[in-house]
Amino acid sequence: MTDPRCCRRKWGKLAVHAALVLACIVNIYPLLRIISISLRPGNRLISTDLALIPAEATFMSYVNVVKDTNFLIWLWNSLIITAGTSLIGVILASTAGYAFSRFKFPGNKLGLTLLLGTQMIPAGMLLLPLFLMVMKMGLINTYLGMVIAYSVSSLPFSIWILKGYYDTVPRSLEEAAMVDGTTRIGAFYRVVLPLSTPALAIAFLFNFTAAWNEYLVARVILSNSTKYTWPLGLFELQGQFITQWGMFAAGSVLITIPVLLVFLYSSKWLVSGLTLGSVKG
Amino acid sequence: MASVTFSGVRKFYGDNEVLHKVNLEIKDKEFLVLVGPSGCGKSTLLRMLAGLEEISSGEISIDSEVVNDLPPRDRRLAMVFQDYALYPHMTVEENMSFGLRIRKLPQEEIDSRVMDAASILQIQKFLKRKPRQLSGGQRQRVAIGRAIVRKPKVFLFDEPLSNLDAKLREEMRVEIAKIHKKLSATIVYVTHDQVEAMTLASRIAVMHAGYIQQIGTPIEVYSRPENIFVAGFIGSPTMNFIEGALETAADKLYFKNEALKVQIPFPLSEGVEYDPKSVVMGVRPEDVYTEHCLDKTLSDMVRAKVEVVELLGHRKNVYLECGKSRLLVTVPALYNVEETLFLWFDMNRVHLFDKASGKRIC
Amino acid sequence: MNSQVALSLLEVLQMIGFVAFVTLWIEAYLYTHFHYSKKSWFFPAMLAAVPLGVLLLVVVAIGPALNARQAVNIFLYALLAESALAVFFRFKADKKLALPYMLIMPGFVGLALLIAYPLVFEVYLAFHDLKLTTLKTWSETGYLPFVNFEHFYNVFTKSPLSEVSFWQLLGRTLWWTVVNVFFHVLGGLGLALLLNNEIKLRGIYRTLLIIPWAMPQVVAVLAMKGEFHSEYGFVNIMIGRLVDAFPFLASMGMHKVQWLSQHPFLTCTIVNVWLGIPFMMVVILGGLQSIPKSYYEAASIDGASRWQKFRHITLPLLRPVLAPAVTLGTVWTFNNINVIYLVTGQSGGTEDADILVSALYKAAFSFNRFSYSAAFAIVIFLLLFAISMLWLKFSKGTESAYD
Repeated sequence: MTDPRCCRRKWGKLAVHAALVLACIVNIYPLLRIISISLRPGNRLISTDLALIPAEATFMSYVNVVKDTNFLIWLWNSLIITAGTSLIGVILASTAGYAFSRFKFPGNKLGLTLLLGTQMIPAGMLLLPLFLMVMKMGLINTYLGMVIAYSVSSLPFSIWILKGYYDTVPRSLEEAAMVDGTTRIGAFYRVVLPLSTPALAIAFLFNFTAAWNEYLVARVILSNSTKYTWPLGLFELQGQFITQWGMFAAGSVLITIPVLLVFLYSSKWLVSGLTLGSVKG
Repeated sequence: MASVTFSGVRKFYGDNEVLHKVNLEIKDKEFLVLVGPSGCGKSTLLRMLAGLEEISSGEISIDSEVVNDLPPRDRRLAMVFQDYALYPHMTVEENMSFGLRIRKLPQEEIDSRVMDAASILQIQKFLKRKPRQLSGGQRQRVAIGRAIVRKPKVFLFDEPLSNLDAKLREEMRVEIAKIHKKLSATIVYVTHDQVEAMTLASRIAVMHAGYIQQIGTPIEVYSRPENIFVAGFIGSPTMNFIEGALETAADKLYFKNEALKVQIPFPLSEGVEYDPKSVVMGVRPEDVYTEHCLDKTLSDMVRAKVEVVELLGHRKNVYLECGKSRLLVTVPALYNVEETLFLWFDMNRVHLFDKASGKRIC
Repeated sequence: MNSQVALSLLEVLQMIGFVAFVTLWIEAYLYTHFHYSKKSWFFPAMLAAVPLGVLLLVVVAIGPALNARQAVNIFLYALLAESALAVFFRFKADKKLALPYMLIMPGFVGLALLIAYPLVFEVYLAFHDLKLTTLKTWSETGYLPFVNFEHFYNVFTKSPLSEVSFWQLLGRTLWWTVVNVFFHVLGGLGLALLLNNEIKLRGIYRTLLIIPWAMPQVVAVLAMKGEFHSEYGFVNIMIGRLVDAFPFLASMGMHKVQWLSQHPFLTCTIVNVWLGIPFMMVVILGGLQSIPKSYYEAASIDGASRWQKFRHITLPLLRPVLAPAVTLGTVWTFNNINVIYLVTGQSGGTEDADILVSALYKAAFSFNRFSYSAAFAIVIFLLLFAISMLWLKFSKGTESAYD
């Protein structure tokens, strides 16, 4: 006594599954291929073999990429630059956002509109003058130069996020703190800031992932292989004539796995974090 | 505890003057309630005292010391906010000890003060909880506890009971009255609820549109309102207002309009200058009697037509049309109300106001 | 290795020190100027202290590369600026404003220097002539020849790279944007509709499907690019095997293709579509899930078919979600240098896939045509601006029609 609708539903569901499986395969296939290339033995790095787990799979490429290239240095450079940008960005933005949220001063509205406006400047437009400026200041190939370049895009966004969050924190909390005995800044530091950790974390995370994965600006400012960030390093491994497939693949895998995990883990939390904010005590 | 003085205090927002030359003296240990409708300026006045708003002109002094330029932290006040303003990331104990910890008081002192306040407010078992785990009433107690612990010169309350439901409001009113007695504190209390004002205050300051309309004890404000606004604001149910004019005949003073003419008895009419301009007569519903409450029919009873009858439970509200005015009278619930009623005003308890200025005539 | 790490740590310390020093300087400046501007000793003290402070700052930043004449210049300019500012603070500044300005200034000074100044500089560059040959003179003396509108003229007539012209680039960019956004939305919509069903493993599918977006873009693009390699990329390998297995396909014209050298635009488009669908999918899925089921139930009772439900309920209610996503996606696609550069950017790569912004990048940094690129950038910006204005007018117009 099967209901004909039930049968159609079953087929329908099967079709949906099939389509989704196909889409998933298409979406993750390049990643799987990279993983499989990274596992290939040294003498068969370049081959037309499509097997996902190659015969005689080995971790040699991983060892090689760490030993024979500046991979770890690249990671280290990326870490410093990214952490530096994110920290500076979050610190400066937390105070600036607070000022925009709580104070009336000439230039408040104008400043916010300008911040929004900077987001509309197309990528690459500022890159050239920035490069020339950095070059003239002698900051090519330096951490400071990179941090300066990255802060341009991270600051406006961070200020907007933090200002929006501060707007949801009731002013009466700071007023209570001031009557209780803090200064204006003390109220910010002791009461508002501890409550803003979700927004601070979001700003930090956003800036971190943006700077971590960035390629074009780094390409322009860093020219010394020991100063490369990891995208530059990887790109070098996929050179035009000799592609060091094995090491490139291994390096890519080493980078991608943590980034994927962070992204997948934090995306759920980010969404809930963005709706956090009503702290009526 | 301390006294507070406002002299000539004005507040402008841009060109808009929201407080007009306020003069107010609050004595030591007094419970002063600032009461008035929304937007009258009472919260602004309180916040200026706290240091949370700028003073446009005039002076505010605490204990004869002018505090205009002192930041809030130096004024030794404590404030209870309408939305409690409890620090969400701290426990109740940390909330209450926050101000003391900032001033680096010794730990034993902090602990003893917190315990004392907690026992006064019955919140000892909440000390380790966070605000979000407490109910509205409990949070309000914590907010009060945070103020008590500071041993301030003056307590400020900014509509603390507005967010509570009716039953809780009653309970907390009692608590606040007890605290006033126990601590012998100077309290400045802002509310829009005239019941809170009448029940808690040692003196009331009625405010409207940036002016103080009247300052006095609850009884004074109730029985001798100085203008129409105060008369209509204080007292529940609201006073009835009837427009008309004065008339003299044979040495007696009468109030007359198209529907009625009543004599104003002697003690009241003393010193009232006869003047043909319009007056408003105010009479509280409890001072208006129907034929059922009197065992006889009196002369000069006024006839009125019944509009709506509302059953309250033990009494009925009867809205009547009398000439151009609408009057409110209450009668026992069991009483059967017909289409017209005869009303008698207790003329000894009537108020007369000049219609143009609103001020009291007698 | 260890010495390199030590060196880099030293540099980090220098960096932190520099940033802290600049911030401190700004804060001290603002604090003294706001709080003490009414004192009698304000003017002389500031006129002496501030230019010296500026000089100190510059010395710390640039170091011994400063010569005496430049130092004197800097001192005098700072003196001039400070006198103007000191007057301003004396007569206009209010102590109350000290705190908010102190809070925002470090960030804003940075932004002003990093955005406002480069913009102005870019305009300056566009009207002068900076290229490889004049670069050395310029870094030493700061002199650049003035060339009026020549570069702007060249933008429209001469190629930014070696062959492709501005008009080709413009057309290609528009086509690129339209095609990509179209497939992004189509693919995103399709996948979102599939995911919107109550099926098992939905969470797993969703997680797997967003991988192209979650992966670092460099890795994702280079990986996909690798699959189009003429010998070892997946695409050609599969084609080869299919042709071997089914020879009739060869006669139909199927053969291995030199993707990167002969069809770079197609390759880039495929890569970018693959890359961009997950984002659209997530956005549309969110929109789909926010449509209350009761609408569909009411429609079922009314007798609507699946297609009718889709057309009259789903699509209209998706509009508020789609509109910003499509706008954002369009802007990102228009400005997408990454994909094109990573796929075709190495020297020896082709120009046939370039769009406006990627050509700009290459002209500036591969061909080192600095002034030309500045003019080019300004043209692109004005173009974008004009398009956005038109779009705003258009969408406002349709919005009111919708009401």
